[in-house]
Amino acid sequence: MIWSWNYFFFGVYPFIAGTTFLVGSAIRYEREQYGWSSFSSQILASKRYMMWASNLWHVGILTLFLGHFTGFLTNILEWLGADPVEHQWIAASAGITAGVLAMIGGLMLLLRRLLDPKVRYASRFMDIFILVWLLITLSFGLGTQFVSVPDAVSGHVQNMQILIQYVRSIATFQPDPALIRTIPIIYKIHMFCGMTVFLLFPFSRLVHIWTVPLNYAIRPYQLVRAKIRSVI
Amino acid sequence: MSHLLDRLKFLVRDKEGFADGHGIKLRDDRQWEDAYRHRWRYDKIVRTTHGVNCTGGCSWNVHVKNGLVVFEMQAHDYPETRPDLPNHEPRGCQRGASFSWYLYSPHRIKYPMVRGRLLELYRAEKAQGKDPVEAWRAIQEDPRKRSSYVAVRGLGGFVRSSWDEVNEIIAAANIYTILQYGPDRIAGFSVIPAMSMISYASGARYLSLIGGVPLSFYDWYCDLPPSSPQVWGEQTDVPESADWFNSTYIIVAGTNIPATRTPDAHFYSEVRYKGTKVIAMAPDYAEYVKFADEWLPVRAGTDAAFFLAMGHVVLQEFYIQKEVPYFMDYARRFTDLPMQVMLRALPDGRHASDRFLRASDFTDQLGQDSNPDWKTVIFDELSHNYRCPNGSIGFRWDEAEGNWNLLQEDASSHTPIVAELSALGKPDAELVTMVFPHYGKRGEDTPILMERKVCARRLQTTQGESLVCSVFDLLLAQYGVRRPSVEIVQEDDRVADYTDPDHCFTPAWQETITGISPDVCVRIAREFAQNAVATQGRSMVIVGAGTNHWYHNDMNYRSIINLVHLCGCVGQSGGGWAHYVGQEALRPQAGWLSLAFASDWHPHARQAAGTSYWYLHTDQWRYERVHPEQLLQPAAKASYRGRTLADYNVVAERMGWLPAAPHFDRNPLEILADLEREGHSTNAEATEAVVTALQSGELRFASEDIDHPNNWPRNLFVWRNNLIGTNAKGHEYFLKHLLGAENAVLGQDDAGSASQEIRWRERAPIGKLDLMVDINFRLNSTGAYSDIILPTATWYEKNDLNTTDMHPFIHPLGAAVDPGWESRSDWQIFRHIAQQFSQLAQKHLGTRKDLLALALLHDSPDELGQAIGVDDWKKNGSRPVPGRNCPRLEIVTRDYPQIYQQYCSIGPRLQSSGNGAKGEHWEAGQEIEELLHINGAFPNESNEGARRPSLSADIHACDMVLHLSPETNGEVAHKAWCSLEKKTGLKLAQLAADRRGEKFHFHDLQVQPRKVISSPTWSGLMSEEVSYSAGYINVHNAVPYRTLTGRGQFYLDHEWFLDFGEGLCTYRPPLPTLAVHGLPERFDTTNGLVLRFLTPHDKWGIHSTYHDDLRMLHLSRGGPHIWISERDAESLGIADNDWLEGINENGALMARAVVSQRIPEGVAIMYHQQENTINVPGSPSTGKRGGINNSATRVIVKPTHMVGGYAQLAWTLNYYGPVGSQRDSEILIRKVSDAQIHWLEAPLSARDEANLRQAVEDSQ
Repeated sequence: MIWSWNYFFFGVYPFIAGTTFLVGSAIRYEREQYGWSSFSSQILASKRYMMWASNLWHVGILTLFLGHFTGFLTNILEWLGADPVEHQWIAASAGITAGVLAMIGGLMLLLRRLLDPKVRYASRFMDIFILVWLLITLSFGLGTQFVSVPDAVSGHVQNMQILIQYVRSIATFQPDPALIRTIPIIYKIHMFCGMTVFLLFPFSRLVHIWTVPLNYAIRPYQLVRAKIRSVI
Repeated sequence: MSHLLDRLKFLVRDKEGFADGHGIKLRDDRQWEDAYRHRWRYDKIVRTTHGVNCTGGCSWNVHVKNGLVVFEMQAHDYPETRPDLPNHEPRGCQRGASFSWYLYSPHRIKYPMVRGRLLELYRAEKAQGKDPVEAWRAIQEDPRKRSSYVAVRGLGGFVRSSWDEVNEIIAAANIYTILQYGPDRIAGFSVIPAMSMISYASGARYLSLIGGVPLSFYDWYCDLPPSSPQVWGEQTDVPESADWFNSTYIIVAGTNIPATRTPDAHFYSEVRYKGTKVIAMAPDYAEYVKFADEWLPVRAGTDAAFFLAMGHVVLQEFYIQKEVPYFMDYARRFTDLPMQVMLRALPDGRHASDRFLRASDFTDQLGQDSNPDWKTVIFDELSHNYRCPNGSIGFRWDEAEGNWNLLQEDASSHTPIVAELSALGKPDAELVTMVFPHYGKRGEDTPILMERKVCARRLQTTQGESLVCSVFDLLLAQYGVRRPSVEIVQEDDRVADYTDPDHCFTPAWQETITGISPDVCVRIAREFAQNAVATQGRSMVIVGAGTNHWYHNDMNYRSIINLVHLCGCVGQSGGGWAHYVGQEALRPQAGWLSLAFASDWHPHARQAAGTSYWYLHTDQWRYERVHPEQLLQPAAKASYRGRTLADYNVVAERMGWLPAAPHFDRNPLEILADLEREGHSTNAEATEAVVTALQSGELRFASEDIDHPNNWPRNLFVWRNNLIGTNAKGHEYFLKHLLGAENAVLGQDDAGSASQEIRWRERAPIGKLDLMVDINFRLNSTGAYSDIILPTATWYEKNDLNTTDMHPFIHPLGAAVDPGWESRSDWQIFRHIAQQFSQLAQKHLGTRKDLLALALLHDSPDELGQAIGVDDWKKNGSRPVPGRNCPRLEIVTRDYPQIYQQYCSIGPRLQSSGNGAKGEHWEAGQEIEELLHINGAFPNESNEGARRPSLSADIHACDMVLHLSPETNGEVAHKAWCSLEKKTGLKLAQLAADRRGEKFHFHDLQVQPRKVISSPTWSGLMSEEVSYSAGYINVHNAVPYRTLTGRGQFYLDHEWFLDFGEGLCTYRPPLPTLAVHGLPERFDTTNGLVLRFLTPHDKWGIHSTYHDDLRMLHLSRGGPHIWISERDAESLGIADNDWLEGINENGALMARAVVSQRIPEGVAIMYHQQENTINVPGSPSTGKRGGINNSATRVIVKPTHMVGGYAQLAWTLNYYGPVGSQRDSEILIRKVSDAQIHWLEAPLSARDEANLRQAVEDSQ
């Protein structure tokens, strides 16, 4: 295999980002229990504004995550009988909808973070940087639709098929960056940005995603904790 | 082991359910709990308490870990008191329990801070080679330079400096001021010494040594009840809280015991288990009301009417209808009721009461050659003649001692007497028509005269025939009590009974004022008195700020004191008058006084009356629209008619009644230097020359031209308090005139031009102070407006002493950790300032003579000033007599380079002249010798030879106080009692004999608080039998009260009291304040509601302290708030938590609304002192940041409080003097919508700055 930038960014970088994401999160969890937080600034701003901004953002971004995961790593749509063109139509429409929601929410959050003096004062560099980075990633993600939608219209959806193959090659630890040599650059930029989000993840407030208290919805009312010897 | 791995237990079943699956047992990692466990670990416990504004005096254990304070816990090891009393402990409250937060909080002052602009100027001057004093001079004498830092006070801009540099600046400023204007232009404000007496003493000692002026505070706060010195000659002497438990009937009025006396409140609830009845009087449903059996919801400020009506019932039923022997006997012996008063004939043939009859009115002076003017007279039932009984003030200062006591005997013949209470029905008595001023007539704004018949005798006095009668007969007439065979003359000739609403002070009359039903009033009066009969005086009235902060506070209180006197409760365990607001009991006073005011070095020290000082120097007098004419009674002699309130103050100063600060319109050092140049070499000659200059008008009192730049206060030290953010009544006036800062004064300052004694200057001074130094551990408003902030040790970082009147123990403040960051204890701070001062003084000052003009002090022979009439030398054109009708003039030689040595060692005067307090005096040589061993000697550089006990550390100062005071050294107690024995001719030393061998040292107190030893400087006993109760030795041991008559006084016969209608207590309604009407026209006063503005004490802070404490902010509303009633809120369209603005001519404030059914209509309650440092937006009306509660207040002074040199009516620091009452105020409240809220976060604009600076420069 000949070394190339393509090979580095799409053959090596995914594993650097993925490893940092997992190992970094684990180390941070071990060492910085008190820093494991979403560092919410909700208390500092107007309730109404945050209701819109935060919910738009979170609904949009979670939908996007779920869409990417389902579309690239599962065959659910195929099992449901969608052919590749239909797959792409579904992906594009859901992606644009969720992307626009997240973009509106994200911009609202960014404006507030930069312009509200109290929130600005309470922000660390990483809080602003990660938000900007996510919005850049999101912009390029929306940008890919300028390729995806015409592809779907014309019925030639091989770009997406290649990407699916490529993503699965990474997920199964058989990286084949050569697959995507020919796909439009906008996809590549979006992918690079997205992988970088994983790279940044453990250094940012995003770690709160690991510990979303989902079990709160289903756990029994009363928790008691056993006395364990190791506890003084 | 690992947070992550421990959670990964997918293969282990470690969850057990229970309760049908509703619960689950986890085996989670629990290491996180250790964080909480470690939070409460400690390696050391140190006893301390909380230092200043709380009078709780609770013993706390501070827990320290790794050199950091981690938390505090209540100590519970007070010595046992008595088996029948509940324990005192544990003492403490939520505020004290949260104090440790401050130590490491963002508010902590960590380094010496200086206003950046000032520091730049100073460094620039020094860089030019100037020495510190010259550098300071260069800044002060250039108006542009001065205004550059003065005008931006309160707007931030502090930078860090070093201790050496700030001490140098402060010393240079002090020296420049002494040279340029005089030492009396340097003032210091610190408060409530009892709570950390050594810290108070530090600054006071430094100021006293350099000739500066410590200001009084208790009167300024309006916590001083002038009624107490008026009636008993005692500042404030109250029962300890345990004595509530001895009571069997308690009325609480205007003091919120559970909220503000939290550590003591348990006695208030425990006593109810004994069956004691508790009545609560309050306009709102206050916390203390919840404990009570009955709530009397009086209209705010009208309590006196209720108590007067109670007195009416008691007199009617217990003195007239049946003569209760206990009451009659008590009245004869311990009150002035049998004292004879002369009547003054009015032009229309009616009579008004005049002064007390004196021994000097008789040709034979009733056998009294010494001080006959100061000896009052009774009519003796045994000899049917006038006799001069023991105990009046004249006997206190007689050469021949031994007659100053309350034994029922004639002072000359020592034969028994029985003082006659009433002359009614006696053959030689006749009925005379008298007039009494009446301010409480329905529908009348101005006082009227009411007519009453009084029985009097004719007497041939040295000035001719006069009518005389007893105070008792006057009192009955004043109270409108029906007596057999005396017809009460009323305009409508109706005979009064309880149901007559037009006739004061009947129960029906009080209903028209208070809103309380007459039946309730009569019932409670009967219960109160009957209880006193059955228990020999165990009926008690507990009062506080709610009653005392009004303009006519002395009337409010005297109405209550009259009642408890009539019921024989004063001086009885479980009975009497108990005043709890700002009061304190600095138990080891004798030792402390010499430490604080440097009487170990100089016999005299400058002091000033805080209220007069701030009233004049913050130019509030310029805005005064209350005129004495509104207050004078119709039959007044009123020889000062036409004078303004400020004029009365000037008159009082020149007669020596009040201290003047600064004294004169010239530098006191220069006055003497000039006189010396003119050849007046001896002190006596110089004093005579000063008197001549005063008489000729060549030398004038500073207050006669108070706004002249020479008479401004120039340097101000503020320590142990928050002058600007808490006690600046008339906050905005302080900002404007004293500090020159941005302010929101809205009214016009033209009213002062009516003054006849003060030169009117059209242009008001802006920015009088050259330098304000704040010494603090936290940044509050005072720091924000200061020029230098010095970081001081907190209450957990220094050694000090603490006592309170709430319990009998003395305990320490202990240094649990060293002062944080670069902070130092107050004692060390002033020590180092003194050191720097001494060094600079060598070049600039050397030894100087200083002229002191001292007020005629209470408890000194000067209290015998002018016995009869007012002899105003200036008005008469006569030569002033210092010490009689003019301040005492004294010359003190100050060795300025030795200030440091003097600060750090005990001076020679205690050995040579002895020590004392409150008129008692004893030798102290033995104790000073012992202190030399306890403290060691301070290294003496001057080779003077004498080894002096060291005061270099705060513990040394503590031990000096403990060792020299009767309360903490049994041997000194013995000496003190012997001193009183000599003066009274009574046997008293046995009262402390059982503890003669005890001596407390600082380290003893750290082990356990100690119960202090009984001392004659206090009127109660610390015995094993009774709780501390005021007046106890007066009633049980025949020691006189320190008053004119030697008895508790119903009647005050000074001319000014009679002029203002307050010879006897009467009802005075709250002042009609004009504050809202004084708003300029651009303010729309129709938008909003005018409410009475009450500012009681809070539950979540003690004054401003704790209000910014994160823990208290969480428990309370988290920012300034005002309580209003539901109805008022509805009419204003205000919902709970809405923003509202309060505004009147004094300024504007912003707060959130608390809407509650607890509050009566027409009242806005803003618990003080919520500073404007947290969560306060701009006020839409002023465009400035909303102020504090005092932005809407201003003090109004009362002339009767200025009377001096007259027995108990004599000024002493924090003892008697004008009080800063501010409660009679109203405020316009209106809603502010969220859209109008601006946080004013932009920096000062260049234009605003230029305007501020221009104002300062123009007024120079």
